[in-house]
Amino acid sequence: MTTNTARDAAADGIRQTGRTGGTSVSLQDLSRSFGTTRALDGLSLEIAPGELVALLGPSGCGKTTALRIVAGFESADTGAVLVDGKDISSVSAARRDMGMVFQSYSLFPNMNALDNVAFGLRMRKQGSAQRRRRAGELLDTVGLGPQAQQYPHQLSGGQQQRVALARALAIEPRVLLLDEPLSALDAKVRLQLREQIRTLQQRLGITTLFVTHDQEEALSMADRVGVMRQGKLEQIATPDVLYDDPATVFVAEFVGAMNRIPAELQASANPRTVAVLGSTVPVKDQEPPENQSESTVGGDGPVDVLVRPEGLTMQVVANGNGIVTHRTFLGSVTRVRVMLSGDVAVQIDKPSSEAAALAPGTSVSVTLPPEPVLIAPRRPATP
Amino acid sequence: MAESTAQAVAPEVLTSGAGPRRVSTSLRRGLKWLGVVPFGVYVALGLLAPFVAIAIAAFKNSSTGALTLSNFNTALHGTYLLGLRTSLVLSIAAAILPGIFGLLIAYAIFTAKRGNVLRQVVITASGVFANFGGVPLAFLFIATLSTTGIVTGWIKDLSGVDIWNHGFTLYSAYPGLFVVYMYFQIPLMVLVILPALEGLRPAWREAAENMGAGTWQYWRYVGGPVLLPSFLGCLLLLFGSAFAAYATAEALTGGTVALTPIQIGALLNGNVVAGQENLGYALGVIMVVIIAIVMIIYTIIQRRAAKWLR
Amino acid sequence: MAAVADVEAGAQTPASATGPAARRRSFPVWRWVILLVAGAYFLIPLYAALRFAGLKAFGDIFKQSGFYPAIGLSLRLAVITTILTLVLMVPTIVYVHLRLPQIRRSMEGITILPIVIPPIVLIIGVLKVAPGFLLSTPYLLALVYVILAMPFAYRSLDAGLRAFDLKTMVEASNSLGASWPTTLWRVVLPNIRTAMLSATVLTVALVLGEFTMASLALYVTFPVWIVQFEQNSGPVSTAASLLALFVTWLLLMLIVTVGGRGARKRGGAQVALFTVAAPAESSQTTGEPE
Repeated sequence: MTTNTARDAAADGIRQTGRTGGTSVSLQDLSRSFGTTRALDGLSLEIAPGELVALLGPSGCGKTTALRIVAGFESADTGAVLVDGKDISSVSAARRDMGMVFQSYSLFPNMNALDNVAFGLRMRKQGSAQRRRRAGELLDTVGLGPQAQQYPHQLSGGQQQRVALARALAIEPRVLLLDEPLSALDAKVRLQLREQIRTLQQRLGITTLFVTHDQEEALSMADRVGVMRQGKLEQIATPDVLYDDPATVFVAEFVGAMNRIPAELQASANPRTVAVLGSTVPVKDQEPPENQSESTVGGDGPVDVLVRPEGLTMQVVANGNGIVTHRTFLGSVTRVRVMLSGDVAVQIDKPSSEAAALAPGTSVSVTLPPEPVLIAPRRPATP
Repeated sequence: MAESTAQAVAPEVLTSGAGPRRVSTSLRRGLKWLGVVPFGVYVALGLLAPFVAIAIAAFKNSSTGALTLSNFNTALHGTYLLGLRTSLVLSIAAAILPGIFGLLIAYAIFTAKRGNVLRQVVITASGVFANFGGVPLAFLFIATLSTTGIVTGWIKDLSGVDIWNHGFTLYSAYPGLFVVYMYFQIPLMVLVILPALEGLRPAWREAAENMGAGTWQYWRYVGGPVLLPSFLGCLLLLFGSAFAAYATAEALTGGTVALTPIQIGALLNGNVVAGQENLGYALGVIMVVIIAIVMIIYTIIQRRAAKWLR
Repeated sequence: MAAVADVEAGAQTPASATGPAARRRSFPVWRWVILLVAGAYFLIPLYAALRFAGLKAFGDIFKQSGFYPAIGLSLRLAVITTILTLVLMVPTIVYVHLRLPQIRRSMEGITILPIVIPPIVLIIGVLKVAPGFLLSTPYLLALVYVILAMPFAYRSLDAGLRAFDLKTMVEASNSLGASWPTTLWRVVLPNIRTAMLSATVLTVALVLGEFTMASLALYVTFPVWIVQFEQNSGPVSTAASLLALFVTWLLLMLIVTVGGRGARKRGGAQVALFTVAAPAESSQTTGEPE
């Protein structure tokens, strides 16, 4: 499902960080089943040196399994993991030279922050003075120099994760692995840490694989994002491509908000068109997804048009095709909910200053600009 | 704008509740405690009163009722001192060895998944055997290790050695009672150390592995230190359990072994020496003091462990 | 181009990505050795006792004159103790959870006390302070047994109450118009059925096996009878002991199966089996609402 080759993205990444070294990681056709559940189904992924790739998806999609296979805590039933071209599938987790940050509470409770960070260096038999010095440096880097003597239970969640990050980086790993490191944290702390992690990663140019279920996190941090579902990679691309050019219906609806508007497909036209909201618009060229259980959209008939909230035009007119039902203030933008004839609800984003005039009950006219749109099989209306 | 008005309102709301309501609040607060009165009364009558009574009696002469320390004096000399010493040593031994074995058994099963059959069996068996003490246990071991016991016979057949000729006896603290006490001490250890083992988060193990640590290094630097307080706490529990044990020893030896609980029983039964009840009470007080010290240390250790395993 | 390269590489990679180092720790040999040795130590005495007693002795138990009175007394004591324990502990614990949550710590401490005070010391104290009319009835023992059972009952019920949000449920029930007794009966009690069952079973097991206090109070309960009877016939006493063990085992299995069905989420049955002083319980890491 790639709409952007790995090499191009990698080149972009390298140019950004200005480093030419770095480690490449290649996941090849990984499959893993737990009993009857197929957690991973032929996952293949290339991570270029210095790149931060995020694996994004709902829980159960296999992203954590994939990460743990790379780390060495799980083994794949089939497939391999290559680091710098070498197959590491038979290398034990302790010897893979990767730094991992876990979701929460992974700091050793019996050691203070400094000793925690120094632990990996101790395993590598570095001298005591040297370890402590390096650990101290790393704690300074994540902004926790003064907390070096504190124990994990004395640190806040955000501080603990920063120590965990420092600990993972202390061993100068070839690859950095992050397993939903921010999901257990408060919203504000999450945002701060997001920036910190990204900045640090870029400065060090370390190849990173990041797993999350929060799309905002993935889109804001990663060079490329891989959207996963049910053990498979639906699409891997840079965030903007993912947003503007989703390859499948799942990706379109998972990333960002998406409206679904019933329409009639005119398949015979070339290019294909849909009749929606009183006008006819062309259909975007979509590769039919291979393994979709939903029936692929074929001939004429009812479909749903997928369009972003900012993709719809709305004007106040008397006797328009819709009525404003709610407004949700989101800051500079307000999300306006409009009920169209036929009981179809859509969300449209408007600058808040304009939205002030759109009180519930206002009659509006909602139209689509003549741009190509995405279509999906018609989903039966939920009661 | 909305925020500032909210802040202006809040303080007034908070302070307006004081004044006339205060009286009824404290009355209500007092009435709250009514609910635990039945429980409190029962505990006071059933637990405190008896203990206070014997504590007082311990300081009185059995025949005259005069205040005296002579009971404690006798308790800490001669055969009663011997009893205390034996009890203490036996309890320590019956804590440490079962402690280690119990830990090994618990460790052997704790990495198995929750639904694992073997794990379930061991846990259930431990729960059962930990409750097996007392009289039945004595009979089990009579059948096993007495002069005509099965295992005695097997050892005789296999090696020609009659252990009873070589100093083994079931009817004294060593080695007899020690071997018997293991039977309920080991399962007790398994049951109480298992939660502590499971308190070891897998993330720690994986993080350690990720940092390059092998199994031994993990236990040496992380697992061991984190587990130590709980382990010590469990040992203290086992000590208390062995120290207080009465039924097994009584059933096995008929009251002849020199252990403090047994001696107390003999004094209060009037079987051995009549008219010396207060001595028995004094011994009882000493027992409680010892166990109280142990429990205090235990609580301190547990607080420490809880902090880490949060 | 990258995609094609992927496919080719994938085809050539051997399927043995499950190198021994990357696999989860499997069950090494030494664990089996330990478990086997332990198994032997625990099972051999059972076997020895069976051999020693002989099957005939089991039948003889019931023919002895002292047996029925003794077992009858033990059973009566068990029933009374259980009822008393539940009647005392359930309302108290519910009340504490709802109205006095701050004393839960102290409650835990208090209910540990019966363990701290050795039964031998407790009984001599009780015998000293008990009024005459109580001393002359064996049911005094039931009253004392309630104290002995307290730690187990408290732990079971406390765990049971913590498994769901009591406060919210009670508030919901009240807001829907239910009176206090109704709430207790229809909302609270059904949700702690399993905990109450464990408390019951543990109490019964305790009473049936209690020797120390009964013997010193000079009442012939079942365990006391077993010891006294040894003078007459070792095999019968041994057989009776085995019978007692078997019943204890049955009772405890009862908790495990019933408790296991209800508390599938986290092995709640295991909590009930733990004797009183389990070390600091871990917080809800593995999804345990403990």
